[in-house]
Amino acid sequence: MKLEELAVLVIEAAEAENVEFMAVGAIAAGAYGVPRSTRDVDLLVSIQFPKKIDALMRRLSSHITFDPQVTFDTLTWGARHVGISRVSPPFKVEFFETFDDPFVVSEFSRRRKVFVPLLNRETWLPTPEDVVVQKLRWGRSKDLDDARDVLAVQGPETLDMAYIEHWCGLHDTLARLHEALAGIPPLD
Amino acid sequence: MNAPNESTRAAELKAMQDSIYREKILRARRQTPEERLADVFELSNHQFAMMLGGAMHRIGSTNVEEGWREVARWMRRLDRVREHNHYATERRIS
Repeated sequence: MKLEELAVLVIEAAEAENVEFMAVGAIAAGAYGVPRSTRDVDLLVSIQFPKKIDALMRRLSSHITFDPQVTFDTLTWGARHVGISRVSPPFKVEFFETFDDPFVVSEFSRRRKVFVPLLNRETWLPTPEDVVVQKLRWGRSKDLDDARDVLAVQGPETLDMAYIEHWCGLHDTLARLHEALAGIPPLD
Repeated sequence: MNAPNESTRAAELKAMQDSIYREKILRARRQTPEERLADVFELSNHQFAMMLGGAMHRIGSTNVEEGWREVARWMRRLDRVREHNHYATERRIS
């Protein structure tokens, strides 16, 4: 199986179960920054109707084995469901549940629909500003690289930097933002 | 001719790193979001193909399924390293 085939399966299942979602992780970062490889299809999924997430995982169960153990990230304590594809390669699917975190609420409300020719369908993505804020918040090395790449490729002059600075101020990640901006070499 | 000193070598290395990164940025800027997304998928599929080759070589097998099992084992180990301290099985109520 190819990663895009798995992505289509997951997106079609989410649509069939009427689960609102947006792609996050490397797929979202790659849309706005420097593309990099990943083994994950990561979705932020709405818990407006919590039972739908269970239905979504059941619908995908012939293709993906989901771990019955829910895990929580130690930064925001958001819930995550992890699955591994049943056929090779061992791609990973992660469903991150929305929750009452002000930034998560904001980024989900600002998601946008994008047509992806390779998938031959539309999907939902966060805005580039929200990718930067989220990546700086997580702060792992790959996240910081992704945030810098989105800033570099989009260009701060085209981004709503006031929005980014607002959330970075609330998340205490302004130093990371400044470091990311300083890491962009002159492009002329 | 004297060998370059440490600071000169560091500056040269930084200039080279910036040049490589600049090329990546400019290439990505020339692409549409759809093209960049296509690259994510292509790079990911390619990486797994390379890992499969590496795993089969590592375990000395020509059996593809054995190779994938080894790749899966590597990925489980990688997850444990990368997720250490980042995820917990119980939510802490603050």
